[in-house]
Amino acid sequence: MSIAEQGSDNSFFSEFIDDYFAESEEHLTILRRGLLALESFVNKPQIERALLDEIFRSFHSLKGISGMVGVREAEQLAHEMESYLRALRHDQATLSEEGMEGLMAGTKMLEQVISAKREQKPPPDIASVIAQIESTIPNDAHAAPRPSSPGGEASAAEAPRASDEAPAAREEGSDSRIWRFEFIPSTELSARGINVNTVRARLQELGELRNGAPRVMPGGGIAFEFIVASQADEPTLAALREGGLTCEPYEEPPAIPDAKEADRKEAGDLRPEAASVAPAIAPSNVVRVSLGRLDELMRMVGELVISRARLEGTLKNAEREMPATRWRALQETNLMIERQLRDLREGVMRVRMVPVAEIFERMRFVVRDLAREYRKKVNLDLSGQETEIDKLLIERMMDPLLHLVRNAISHGLETPSEREAIGKRAEGTISLRAFTAAERVVIEVEDDGRGIDFAKVADRAREMGLIADKAKLDTEALLDLICSPGFSTRDEADRASGRGVGMAVVKNTVLGLGGEFTLDSEVGRGTRFTIQLPITLAIADALIVSTGGQKFAVPQSSVREVMEIDPSSVTALEEYELIQYRGGALPIVRLARLFDIEEKYERVFHAFVIGSGLNVAGIAVDRIIGHQEIVVRAINDPLIQVAGISGATELGDGQVVLILDAAALIKLPAPGTGLRSTVSG
Amino acid sequence: MAEDQAQEQNASEPFILFELAGTTYGVPSRAVQQVELVEHITPVPNAPPAVEGVIFSRGQVIPAINLRVRFGFERALHDLRTRLVVVNAGSRVIGLIVDSAREFILIPPGAIQPPNETLAGLKGKYLEGIATLGERMILILSLEEVIDPAGVMATAPEGA
Repeated sequence: MSIAEQGSDNSFFSEFIDDYFAESEEHLTILRRGLLALESFVNKPQIERALLDEIFRSFHSLKGISGMVGVREAEQLAHEMESYLRALRHDQATLSEEGMEGLMAGTKMLEQVISAKREQKPPPDIASVIAQIESTIPNDAHAAPRPSSPGGEASAAEAPRASDEAPAAREEGSDSRIWRFEFIPSTELSARGINVNTVRARLQELGELRNGAPRVMPGGGIAFEFIVASQADEPTLAALREGGLTCEPYEEPPAIPDAKEADRKEAGDLRPEAASVAPAIAPSNVVRVSLGRLDELMRMVGELVISRARLEGTLKNAEREMPATRWRALQETNLMIERQLRDLREGVMRVRMVPVAEIFERMRFVVRDLAREYRKKVNLDLSGQETEIDKLLIERMMDPLLHLVRNAISHGLETPSEREAIGKRAEGTISLRAFTAAERVVIEVEDDGRGIDFAKVADRAREMGLIADKAKLDTEALLDLICSPGFSTRDEADRASGRGVGMAVVKNTVLGLGGEFTLDSEVGRGTRFTIQLPITLAIADALIVSTGGQKFAVPQSSVREVMEIDPSSVTALEEYELIQYRGGALPIVRLARLFDIEEKYERVFHAFVIGSGLNVAGIAVDRIIGHQEIVVRAINDPLIQVAGISGATELGDGQVVLILDAAALIKLPAPGTGLRSTVSG
Repeated sequence: MAEDQAQEQNASEPFILFELAGTTYGVPSRAVQQVELVEHITPVPNAPPAVEGVIFSRGQVIPAINLRVRFGFERALHDLRTRLVVVNAGSRVIGLIVDSAREFILIPPGAIQPPNETLAGLKGKYLEGIATLGERMILILSLEEVIDPAGVMATAPEGA
């Protein structure tokens, strides 16, 4: 019993905190953009008011919501920066170089604090950053209380959306009283539509919400405590008690009225401007949904797809046993369901899609910082920000893209003087592009820097014994090399470029997501990394093949071509088999031998071609059965995670069909060289 | 007296019993998700010999371990009595292929003895205890050990 209750509270709290992360991410996005714009006002007497207000408001909201979920470090940072901005707004200070640096550093630290919270890691040390910002705030502007100081909780008084929701500061009328409300969330209440957000909203209507904070109860549950100044009468309060709130008069601790008043006025001041400045952050017709719920929806759609496949199978068998007209009517309905299902599937997928702008915009911040650190001049050129991609994919791509951009600045671009010496513009360009091509999203990271010197990389690889003495490098082999852990062409271990470990992570992440990672580079001209990703993960078009009576699925996106092979056209070369293919020789790998199963082809067999560049191979199977939409399911148990298999699916008959991992198949050892040892060893 | 009996009854734990190569084994029924007829099992290339393949269970892809192979007995053809016992242990879900599974009984804790030294010394760490009920002897399995990946992967194919 108690376990169940506690469980529901925890999940409740986790939903609450997810909301916090989502909301803080929105504010951070505004801040990153805002601060970059603010930079052009350094040392200017006048700052664009709307911009200043927008930044101020975001810090203010961040302070509020951080206090609400108890992320003290974030609350404190936001508070300091808010104070500095308050001084700017009241013309108590002009925006200095140091002040700008402080805001940048503070915002970065804020990001780190929040992401540490998200990853449940200990927060980073914020003391030095706090001191840095503090030093830029003129003394007479230190009006507002610190959030951590006793009684200073008042700063969190205008709970999260104070700036746009709270009524303008009320005069504390003589008949206004202070109440302490306590709200204990429960599944039952949440079923009635009562949760901490609705409670907060109701209390804000009631009067002035002075404080709101979660409290862990003995036994592990969560309660929320709200302090409200209100003129509400007994019947109103009684109605609130009905809604799961307890309420009692509250003894206010000795107040610090001036500061509180100042703080509240700030919030009040903003109201008239709020509408004119920038679009609202979360307009009321936008719903935030957790990815988990969307996954659940996607899974249900997936099951529908399977059921329809089953229906189609049954229908096929029934054709002979039915009058043709009736059968055709059924078949028509079946096809209609198929189309509608496709629409439904696309609809659900579209809900999961977010524009890549979400991460591209972030790069501006990163580029600005790194350009400084490496003393390079960089112009960041973004295009295709509106390109949409699955939310999960974009989250996973954040770090790899960051790494590529860092690499481009630290390794790719020359210093301004180097560039001028060879007749290039002093300012280097880094282009981030996104676009959709067929069923894939392509993301490119390109620089116009020095390019990769193949010979130098090859030398180093030879030195390290990674390649044979006379091996020639093509771009693919080159990419493999620079992506191998521990490989770096730089001697000093360079912080941002991370000793080559980063590139391995980039490549593995992309491949793990079913994508492709390629490279183009020319010495003196620049380097381009191209990432191709499936638009979404859960459902894919696949080629169904069979060998030795067992079916396998191959993602359509990795198949280049399908062909029929007459055994007499195959040339054996040691343990390999080759056929003529587009004027060259194509190695054929028999899936049956790779997987140690018996082949059963009649007269001819079939192959599908996978890979690219020099790494092309035909995978031979007995038969190609056809194309089908499949629902990809993960294989999680270590006992069944084997090389060459990336997942499993079902084709409508309840049987598991394994999905081949094309990239891994190509890399599997040649037939007869003992695959097993690489799997279990 | 009647009260004592009732109490003993209460403390008893339900077990699912199954047969394998003429011996009766028991697993606590709280660890058993379901018992199914063995239908199509998809073989997984290059998986350990004791892993017969994969099946779907409640939308999840799970391995099916042939318990005969796992315990070093000869592989037997599946027949109408063959069952798949789907167990949930150590946050993993695994199917166990057994000769038959038909019984569900309550075993009082007092009836279960730890395996004696000679047995414990065998590679069969997967024995948690031996229950004696009248004339019958039931080997109680430690599921974590039975499905432990390292153990399953080390199981040699029959005849090797």
